[in-house]
Amino acid sequence: MKLSSAKISKESKGASPSHGGHHKNSFHSKRQSHHSILPLQPVDQLEQWSSVAVDMYNNSSSSNNNNNHHHQPQTSHTSTSRSSDYSAGGDGEPSAVGNKWASRLLKECARAISDKDSSKIHHLLWMLNELASPYGDCDQKLASYFLQALFCKATESGQRCFKTLTLVAEKSHCFDSARKLILKFQEVSPWTTFGHVAANGAILEALDGEPKLHIIDISNTLCTQWPTLLEALATRNDDTPHLKLTVVVTANIVRSVMKEISQRMEKFARLMGVPFEFNVVSGLNHLGQLTKEVLGVVEDEAVAVNCMGALRRVPVEGRAAVIGMFRSLGPKVVTVVEEEADFTSTRYDFVKCFEECLRFYTVYFEMLEESFTPTSNEKLMLERECSRGIVRVLACDDDQDSEGERERRERGSQWSERLKEAFSSVGFSNDVVDDVKALLKRYKPGWALAQPYQNETGLYLTWKEEPVVWVSAWKP
Amino acid sequence: MTEESISDVFVINPIPGSNPPVAKKKRNLPGTPGKCLLFPPISNFSEDSLIVIFVNLMTKCCLRFPHMIWVIADPEAEVIALSPKTLMATNRFLCEICGKGFQRDQNLQLHRRGHNLPWKLKQRSTKEVRKRVYVCPEKTCVHHHPSRALGDLTGIKKHFCRKHGEKKWKCDKCSKRYAVQSDWKAHSKTCGTREYKCDCGTLFSRRDSFITHRAFCDALAEETARVNAASSMHSNINHHLIGNQIGPPMAQHFPPIFKQISSNDATIDQTRCGLSLWMGQASQFHDSIPKSLQEIHQFGSVISRSIYSDLLVSTSNPPASGYHLNWVLGNKVSSSHAEELTSTSLPLNNVKENGAQLVSVPSLLSTQKLHSHQPTSANMSATALLQKAAQIGATSTDTSFHGSLGTKCSNSQIQDGNKYSGLYVSNTPPTSFGSDLENSANDISNLNQLQMQPAKRQRLQNEDSSGGQTRDFLGVGVLPICHPSSINGWT
Repeated sequence: MKLSSAKISKESKGASPSHGGHHKNSFHSKRQSHHSILPLQPVDQLEQWSSVAVDMYNNSSSSNNNNNHHHQPQTSHTSTSRSSDYSAGGDGEPSAVGNKWASRLLKECARAISDKDSSKIHHLLWMLNELASPYGDCDQKLASYFLQALFCKATESGQRCFKTLTLVAEKSHCFDSARKLILKFQEVSPWTTFGHVAANGAILEALDGEPKLHIIDISNTLCTQWPTLLEALATRNDDTPHLKLTVVVTANIVRSVMKEISQRMEKFARLMGVPFEFNVVSGLNHLGQLTKEVLGVVEDEAVAVNCMGALRRVPVEGRAAVIGMFRSLGPKVVTVVEEEADFTSTRYDFVKCFEECLRFYTVYFEMLEESFTPTSNEKLMLERECSRGIVRVLACDDDQDSEGERERRERGSQWSERLKEAFSSVGFSNDVVDDVKALLKRYKPGWALAQPYQNETGLYLTWKEEPVVWVSAWKP
Repeated sequence: MTEESISDVFVINPIPGSNPPVAKKKRNLPGTPGKCLLFPPISNFSEDSLIVIFVNLMTKCCLRFPHMIWVIADPEAEVIALSPKTLMATNRFLCEICGKGFQRDQNLQLHRRGHNLPWKLKQRSTKEVRKRVYVCPEKTCVHHHPSRALGDLTGIKKHFCRKHGEKKWKCDKCSKRYAVQSDWKAHSKTCGTREYKCDCGTLFSRRDSFITHRAFCDALAEETARVNAASSMHSNINHHLIGNQIGPPMAQHFPPIFKQISSNDATIDQTRCGLSLWMGQASQFHDSIPKSLQEIHQFGSVISRSIYSDLLVSTSNPPASGYHLNWVLGNKVSSSHAEELTSTSLPLNNVKENGAQLVSVPSLLSTQKLHSHQPTSANMSATALLQKAAQIGATSTDTSFHGSLGTKCSNSQIQDGNKYSGLYVSNTPPTSFGSDLENSANDISNLNQLQMQPAKRQRLQNEDSSGGQTRDFLGVGVLPICHPSSINGWT
């Protein structure tokens, strides 16, 4: 390490004379501080260090004119003050970026990969590797997981890496661990329960009075949405309708626990006194293969389709078809819950996609950090689950994906555009909104409900004023 | 026993000479039911009557008032049907000077005195006042029929609001909605303070996370029962109905009960509905059992868990089948055990010591612990059941609770002890039952606290006994009318 730091300082020494006055001064000041760099440094030093490396590359690459168009935002760096480098990391003020070293390094690395600047790639990857840790603070964790994705992207081993990660996860996955994980997560954070409460409210209202209900559930929350719905069905009226719940499962991990889940759900429904039927549709590679027959929709029942984190798993080109298929089922209500991130429109632009991905997962990781206890095992497992998603989005090619499932998220507004083709939006009633608000009150502060403007649909869950989850209800 | 004969038993004319003088109508006093018949010592009854009594007692889950059963018959009660407008109206009596509204004319008159207006207070009519019962104007409602009328004006008002009115009051924390302001107030006091306990031992402060946990809990998957030690009851203090031992096997058997548990705070109309069942619709008690169970829960009922558990335990109850509590209690007890019921005296004194278990009926029914007790004998006689109940009641130490709780159950019609239609179980309510949810909520919380602190319990018991509690046939509480020795007559 000392060697490398010496190397860096040498490089910076070597580079500094060739720069302009302003840079020179700052480099000098930095250089002095760098002489004492050790692997573990206070963050501000770290970020200075990383800034140096970044600057160095920027400056060297600025001489390559053919690369300039990729560095539009940075060519100015050579002539302008350092603060513009900080803006690359998303912060305008030098003083505020003490904790943003990961973000900047990662973005720089992404750019380097996009530019296919291999020396820069190597250097940044190495630096990230030194600084990152899945057991550290938020920055270190993000650095760690995104480094993995960047590495896979650079080495074009994304698919393999993803498969490996999936296998590892499946091996350690069991009903108990999955249950513990998701229940704990729901206890500390309304990330999933927000969608549950709003969707259940919309479903109950839409299906009110129907004697036979059929809910088609395509979600990633292992049926934790339904006990409260069952309880509501049992207690709302004197006449309890018959509920048929069809759960569509595509991920292998979920498949293995569905048996247990079905047993529990059936038992619970008996406990509640709700006539209940539980079906699992598995064996599909992707949602595009769903049909009315496969789902077992019959004529006399009232259908509700509940998509929670499901539509994003449909290949982008197939989304309209899937929405159309839902329409063909003739549902009374379709509830869609998705996370606010856009990996779809950026899918051909690696850097933009990367930045969006980084932004989203930064919010997510910070949310996890603040919701769980510092040493929580569940938090660690959730973060690991993210790593698979990150690798998949960033490092796997769309066409290369044999599984057919990709988690290309879209924002609520984008989903609305798609859903409007086949459905019309249904607003959430005041009662449901009140329920959601009451739900959020039960969690730590920081969460809020945001209702969009007139022309937008659905409800947003916001974490520190940043919209993170979007829920909406639709009818044909 | 046929339904007709059941009603025959219930509709018993007051025995002349046994009527205490018509007491002043005071809600909060141990009421002297007036024209009611003191239930004679059990040995005086035929088997059929005992069966009916027992069945009604058990099936109506009226352990909350484990008192002597008062058989009231009042076919002459005046049935009053008020319009929805009248029922919903609050402050109908307006002062012409300042426009202030009053709920009663008497209050308005007193107010008019302040304006130096001529006023007239209506004197209490010297002639015997006919008992008034009120029917619900809503045609589809159960209480629309005079035979299911409710005896209290405030009660019918609240019922109408709750059942057929708009729910204007909403709880902040959990967004539950209420039609009656007092219900909402009572709920707000307790909302968020309840703790839900799963069978696995985990405590929850949030109902939704409790429900979700419950659905996936391993405890749900277990079919084995656990022994229900009476002493372990106290650990369940302060637990919500749902939270209490919703064991799977039993749980399956009482969907309607659970329904009501989930609905948390009371819709007293349900309770009234159940109570009015006592009012003579013996023929309907089979159907009404779930409702009565529900009503119990709505109280946040504080029913002796052990009594219940044992009672249920003693009926054969194959876990796998979809039993319903009413079936268990109603059918089993009434049909198969009817003929076996003999006049057995209940050790009343034992019941006194039984610590009232603040566990709701559903929890009683649902507890896994129940299963361990279940002998497969479907032939346990009703007599044995009664005995068991008495024994369990005997271990209770919170007799006063039973008394006070029982009073809650009893219809406020008991107040003046005037004529009532149908059967009802009397007690001496410190607070009137259906009409005061708030009090009941307070009492429940009081009871809870008392449960937590046995020392206090004794104090309360002393206070209650000085107040003249009724004592039920199980020996809990004190009947003001009934001679203590007659209680012992049960033994």
